[in-house]
Amino acid sequence: MEMIGHGGKPLVERVITDKAEAKKKIAGLKTLPASRQMATEAIGLAYGFFSPLEGFMKRADVETTCKKMELTDGTIWSIPIVFDISDEEIAKYGIKEGESVLLTYEGNPLAIFDIEEIFTYNKEEFAQDVYGTKEDKHPGVKRTYNYKDKFLGGKITLVNEPVVREPFTPYFLTPRQHREKFKEKNWIKIVAHQTRNVPHSGHEWLMKHAYIAAHGDSPVEQMETMGKSISGILVNCIVGEKRTGDYIDEAIVLTQDELRKAGYFREDIHMVSMTFWDMRYAGPREAVHHAIIRTNLGLTHHMFGRDHAGVGTYYHSYQAHHLLMSIPKEKLNITPIYVLEWAYCPHCGEVTCIGLCGHWNELQKFSGTKIRSIIMDEVKPTRLIFRPEVFDVVMECAKKYGFGSPFVTEEYLKKAKPAFSIPPL
Amino acid sequence: MAETYPINIWINEERFKALQSAGLESLCKEELAGMKVLPVPCTAAQRDKILKLYPMAKFDAATTKSIELLPKQVKDKIFELIVARKKIDVMDEFIQNAEKG
Repeated sequence: MEMIGHGGKPLVERVITDKAEAKKKIAGLKTLPASRQMATEAIGLAYGFFSPLEGFMKRADVETTCKKMELTDGTIWSIPIVFDISDEEIAKYGIKEGESVLLTYEGNPLAIFDIEEIFTYNKEEFAQDVYGTKEDKHPGVKRTYNYKDKFLGGKITLVNEPVVREPFTPYFLTPRQHREKFKEKNWIKIVAHQTRNVPHSGHEWLMKHAYIAAHGDSPVEQMETMGKSISGILVNCIVGEKRTGDYIDEAIVLTQDELRKAGYFREDIHMVSMTFWDMRYAGPREAVHHAIIRTNLGLTHHMFGRDHAGVGTYYHSYQAHHLLMSIPKEKLNITPIYVLEWAYCPHCGEVTCIGLCGHWNELQKFSGTKIRSIIMDEVKPTRLIFRPEVFDVVMECAKKYGFGSPFVTEEYLKKAKPAFSIPPL
Repeated sequence: MAETYPINIWINEERFKALQSAGLESLCKEELAGMKVLPVPCTAAQRDKILKLYPMAKFDAATTKSIELLPKQVKDKIFELIVARKKIDVMDEFIQNAEKG
């Protein structure tokens, strides 16, 4: 059955699963080693996470993405997906337009890359258009400036599928596999919770708020009986390049799952998966990108909270909401659910939506930094703000995967195994 | 009053008892859902020295306006010094000790 992805176009799947066929196709191709980011994005392209893109962007698509937030065919697109390369590498690997090369990762075959165009692009303009700033303090801008001076555009075909290591193995699903899972669960309305965090109860309530909003016009009987819900929450964790001080990916994925295992969400309405993507911290534009990815996963709704995918003070708290609202409904086939913050109210003695509670002056707001600080001090938080089971999993992850810390440290960056590897073909 | 750039030490039962024994429990403030924090004031110069001594730490200018991501062991030492000296203003001494190694 054909699956429809972002832009109303068929979901892209460019994967050769037959090893003999793959070997035949790559025989005699020049090889080109891919960096971790390029390999990650090649995998994303081939599985259709970035549908309708079939490969790395050519110049015209990069330009319309930057200037108009759309592809040349008018499909909404917010962040360029580019393959960078230096002149030296072009010479060294004999890269020519019109030829195909074999992308390798850590020495093993990864994908066939049809080089349709070699081009340059002004990186400052790129940064200004996508991130709204040219300051290299912004991590996305820094990433852009770190790109080499040329770009390669063209289609990607995966010839060797990644092997995802434990504990991530069960959580990595392709867009097709996501859709198959939703079908098994009989989910019709599925709301995305984008995360790169260990959940505190503010996050938990955001998810509950979004679920109720997405399910709101459906018969209650479909929610009342265990196993009958036609709506679900997909917690889709972003796994990618880390910075010191971030939560380690293992803690993020396993604590999110613990919320359901410990019963804070019913078994039949909650599911955790992960997507490989290096956060660009592009705020509003990244929110659009997340909406595109989740459309491709087969979701119908996407929750957007405060400061979605932002960094520092580059974007207003709800700038992502405003950009999403400016996009015509027919251009983005996923319904955004805009949510206000939830906070702890000592007067009510509970976590509440700041848009509902009248005790304005008493509200104690959650902050990621505050929660990190509590965890870092190894002080067990009260269950009202952080579930004890989640705290226990955080601490277990610190011991098991984080070299003693649930946060990314220099040691973790040096020693932790990558989430995926490419085996010999 | 000059602006300070605090280090927030979260207070569990054990730490609270230690503060009580030093007569400093009133310096704690309730921060989130009954959880208490002891804000240890730092001047701008002390903040800069701390960030240099512990490069993993960050000053969170956007939300909490405090020095964050200090390892627990470092905060434990600051806390022990506060209890031993029975005062909150210990950062000069702490930094001097840390610089000596």
